[in-house]
Amino acid sequence: MIVYDLWKRGFDAWEKATADYLDGVLKNPVVLGPAGALLSTTMKTKAAADRALAGWWGQLGLPTKRDQERALHKLNQLESRLSDLEEELAGTRQA
Amino acid sequence: MSEHPQDEREPRGAPPGAASAAGRRGGRTETEARRANGNGPGPGRGIRNLVRAWLRGAPKVGQTPADVIHRENKWSLLRYRPRAEGLTYATPILLVPSLINRHYVLDLQPGRSFAGFLVERGHDVYIIDWGSPGDEDRYLEFDDICDRYLGRAVRKVAARSERRQVHLLGYCLGGTLATIYTAARPERVASLTALAAPIDFSDEGMLARWTRTDTFDLDALVDACGNVPWALMQASFQMLRPTLQVAKFVGVVDRAWDDEFLDGFFALERWLNDNISFPGECYRRYIRELYRENALMRGAFALSGNVVRLGAITCPTLVVSFEHDHIVPSPSAAPLVDCVSSPDTEHLRLAGGHVGAVISRKAKERLWPTMAAWWEARDRVANAHDEAAPSAPPAPV
Repeated sequence: MIVYDLWKRGFDAWEKATADYLDGVLKNPVVLGPAGALLSTTMKTKAAADRALAGWWGQLGLPTKRDQERALHKLNQLESRLSDLEEELAGTRQA
Repeated sequence: MSEHPQDEREPRGAPPGAASAAGRRGGRTETEARRANGNGPGPGRGIRNLVRAWLRGAPKVGQTPADVIHRENKWSLLRYRPRAEGLTYATPILLVPSLINRHYVLDLQPGRSFAGFLVERGHDVYIIDWGSPGDEDRYLEFDDICDRYLGRAVRKVAARSERRQVHLLGYCLGGTLATIYTAARPERVASLTALAAPIDFSDEGMLARWTRTDTFDLDALVDACGNVPWALMQASFQMLRPTLQVAKFVGVVDRAWDDEFLDGFFALERWLNDNISFPGECYRRYIRELYRENALMRGAFALSGNVVRLGAITCPTLVVSFEHDHIVPSPSAAPLVDCVSSPDTEHLRLAGGHVGAVISRKAKERLWPTMAAWWEARDRVANAHDEAAPSAPPAPV
């Protein structure tokens, strides 16, 4: 078991050294800048594709995913508003 | 203000998670010490044990009995069933978990349940289960969650107690929400506990730097995804320590002889892989105003149109931060204790990581009793005040 224990200690030292090194690398603007640009480009492409699909779908007179999301969100807001009113009513009854 | 020193039993600079869970004693890990005593099997047996544990399937989590007392949109408010002997403390405790993690981290397993621990001590314990946002929840604003939902939870819990107040505990992002809420609406908050809660976002961590780069287009991300996918956030967190997965694997093989450790490990892994996406509009404001502008610390953050000043917090405040927390570094969590106006503040600074330090065996021995004792002491003070002016009976909910 001595061999394993020695290996384990070596591994722990390697892990810490590697983690510290990678932390420095990943915080470097040379890495963070392109990573942000890649993410942003991907997201803009996805948004453009979604818009094109929604436009085509809308031309058929059908509600888009966004339309449905907005309607559902309004319903959730109504539910919350009802809860607000129930609370106010309970407070008024108590007073 | 008082401050507990770091727990010297924990190693400084130890890797977080399972790798550090082995715990060194006098230069030896627990596993090494056991082997030296002829008491611990080698890694071969550990791997066999690991395979058996894996074949047993996913462990059960969140088993402390609880009832839903309010449900709204996707979130619900749960009340843990009080112990059979009845409640000992008058002020209920409301636990506010992170918005992007499941609530059962605070009720992981029997013996590893912070909520269960508090119930056993005679507290009336409630928790918010944020649920999973649907696609339509991309429009949920920060104010909806922090003011409307958290506010309703606080009012519901407070109305069920004689004291009409709650001890509010927020963990991680839940702590940020709890702090903002307490600063804006202090009436029903008897005390605030911010557990590894990011408050000061001026740190130079990798994620903070990344969100501040010119090329990181926040609007493009939210517009394209709606809710920010949990997988993206999890990948970001893993970048905070890219070697963690390898270290975790080696660490678990190293300690696989310990059945109790394995049970906890698999329960925690289940929780770590059971994440929640971040509601889009809420994320947009969180990153823009808190991460990039550090608006909360500057007194420039507003909740439902009202400016939030941390100095408006006058209730007893306990801040807990962890030395090896890579997700919410101690310099991000600790400043709260200096910003509030309360004369009764305490900063508990412990070794350990963001999750392990909250649910480990050590947490059960030190962190949990310390927090419970802190609430109990504040309850005794409140009881003394109540003797002079008895309160009205609790309102129906």
